Amino acid sequence: MLQATDLRKSYGDTEALKGLDMTVEGGDIYCLLGANGAGKTTTISLFLNFIQPDGGTATVCGLDVTEQPLETKKLLAYIPEQVMLYGNLTALENLRYFSQLGGHDYSPEEYRDFLRRVGLEEEAVDRRVKTYSKGMRQKVGVAIALAKQARALLLDEPTAGLDPKASNEFSELLLKLKSDGAAILMATHDLFRAKETGTRIGIMKEGRLVDELSTGEVTHADVEKIYLQHMHAGGHYAQDGAGSA
Amino acid sequence: MIASIARKEFSEIVRDGRFKWTAGIMALLLLTALAAGYQKYSAYMDIQRMSQDQTNAQWLNQGDKNPHAGAHYGNYAFKPAGPLAFFDNGINNYAGTALFMEAHKQNFAIGRPATDQSSIGRFGDLSGAMILQLLMPLLIIFLGFTAFSGERESGTLRQVLSMGVSNRQLLWGKALGIGGVVLLIVGLCVVAGGLALSLTGPSTESESLGARVTLMALSYVLYGGIFLFLTLAVSAWARNARTALMVLIGFWAFAGFLAPKAAVEISKAIHPTPAFGKWMADMRSHQMRGFDGVPPFVRFEQESREIFAEYGAESIAELPVYVGALRLQKFEEYDFPVFEQHYGQLRDSYTNQRRLQDRIGIVAPTLPLRSLSMALAGTDLIRHVNFADAAEAYRRDMVLKVNNYLGEAAASLNTGYGGGNVLIADEAIFAMVPPFRFDSRGLQATLAEHAGNFIALMLWLAAALGLALWSVQRLKVEED
Repeated sequence: MLQATDLRKSYGDTEALKGLDMTVEGGDIYCLLGANGAGKTTTISLFLNFIQPDGGTATVCGLDVTEQPLETKKLLAYIPEQVMLYGNLTALENLRYFSQLGGHDYSPEEYRDFLRRVGLEEEAVDRRVKTYSKGMRQKVGVAIALAKQARALLLDEPTAGLDPKASNEFSELLLKLKSDGAAILMATHDLFRAKETGTRIGIMKEGRLVDELSTGEVTHADVEKIYLQHMHAGGHYAQDGAGSA
Repeated sequence: MIASIARKEFSEIVRDGRFKWTAGIMALLLLTALAAGYQKYSAYMDIQRMSQDQTNAQWLNQGDKNPHAGAHYGNYAFKPAGPLAFFDNGINNYAGTALFMEAHKQNFAIGRPATDQSSIGRFGDLSGAMILQLLMPLLIIFLGFTAFSGERESGTLRQVLSMGVSNRQLLWGKALGIGGVVLLIVGLCVVAGGLALSLTGPSTESESLGARVTLMALSYVLYGGIFLFLTLAVSAWARNARTALMVLIGFWAFAGFLAPKAAVEISKAIHPTPAFGKWMADMRSHQMRGFDGVPPFVRFEQESREIFAEYGAESIAELPVYVGALRLQKFEEYDFPVFEQHYGQLRDSYTNQRRLQDRIGIVAPTLPLRSLSMALAGTDLIRHVNFADAAEAYRRDMVLKVNNYLGEAAASLNTGYGGGNVLIADEAIFAMVPPFRFDSRGLQATLAEHAGNFIALMLWLAAALGLALWSVQRLKVEED
């Protein structure tokens, strides 16, 4: 569903991504771990065609994102760290607007249903979102992704700053989307959540994917240990590339 | 899709607290300006009609006298305000309103309203046209400068562009939404003003009023569209909202204030207006010298044989008309080419200035619009010139009629017979000269003269649109 092949990106002299190869299949929740600047957000931006790759390809359901940017975006849903909404519009109006931008339209009742499914309180639906907490905004973000009926989701630290309950609810929603067959790529710092929710884990360092794990085969403790090993290892470790999973 | 974007822009703007203030102030100013313009216009038209009727009555009741003396008593032409003067007063404040028409002399229109105003009047009238020319662009800029730049700053642009919407669709949607808000504010005021006028107003001159209003509306829509797409172009191009606002306000000040002022100065420098004193002295001495260098008295003597021959006469005694009246009329006619040359020179300088200003208008859309607006309102220089021409034609006819009457009625004076009573003209004789009525050249002539300004507005709109399309095409959510 989501596939990166030898994907490269530089900013000036800095190589942000040094030939990334990865695949996320439908029903996968692929969690990208790594320090800030490891290339996680760059990867997501490349899939969204917000930036142009310097080499390699990124495809969504087999379509190259640089060749068919609008078509691939229609297949994607994107939830950033901070879901930004229009403060003067209500949750329902925001959801309707973004859905229409994505080429979908539903009845008001269906929109309410999406918002109910992500757990937004009934009374909040018709309130202007400038009064919303971060958790509530993220829920609207998920509702937008649900309504878009996306085949693949790109999540950039979507639970950062959420309280544990909200974070847990968010993970529940991801599991539902996963069971519907969506391919989910999530950048995160939350090792616990990655092991708990994810099906696979990729560890990035300095623009390379240095390790891939299947969450079914490792414990929480393993994940943390492997992660820290990679972080502490010198550059030479990363040169060996991926493949220990 | 575009409709959804437009609807979202519209609701977002309308729900913003700042909108209520902006819209309220704009609406208040526009309604005030229209009401004040209308009040001024109807008061002026009342005075104009009353004065014209009065001067016509005075002409008829000037008392029994020598008919040529009647032409010296003269008659006034009062300029009617243009059909849409309440909206755009144009040059009316600076052009004369009354023109004295008398024997032997072509005069200027006098009575410039600006000379009766205090220094505050220098800032110009608060007219509907001024508000739409200067404040409507400002309104568009305020409503639109964040259209893209604000969404980029707040982060919604990332999400919007992740939805798979094309940049062009975003542009059209935003243009429709913001345009709709502007139309709502401006359009409502204009419709309210127009309704009030049609319900209570006196019948305006019927100079194709409907066509004028339509073309006027079209010009202002084009003008608004230019600022709308420029605003969107800059908003998409600028890195942040503050930069967008600064660039746009800069352009607004340039287009609304600097360019018009510069255009006037440049046009005056290139086509200078003759100095009045010298111009007047030149004309008077040219009259004395005669148009071709033969003074009128000499010329009349030289031409007398041919002139008499026209009447089939060999000498004064055989003339069927009074030679004194003949001379008066000939002298009058000798002056025609002198007036035409000197007034023409003055007029050409104004016309050339205006045409050059129109041409300079390609650098700022406010210039061609202003020119068009005045022309459609009937308050421009062309119409003033038409008025002066009409007054001069009327004057020539008036003088010709009384001189002809004098010539025929006093023919016996040539042989020294006949009584003085034939010199007396009374009301019935003065009634040969019909009351002055001004019919402007009409809309078609105006349009022909201003086609260039329409084209300039169209070009501006095309350029603004092109710029906006280019700008959104390279719209990026993050630096590459």
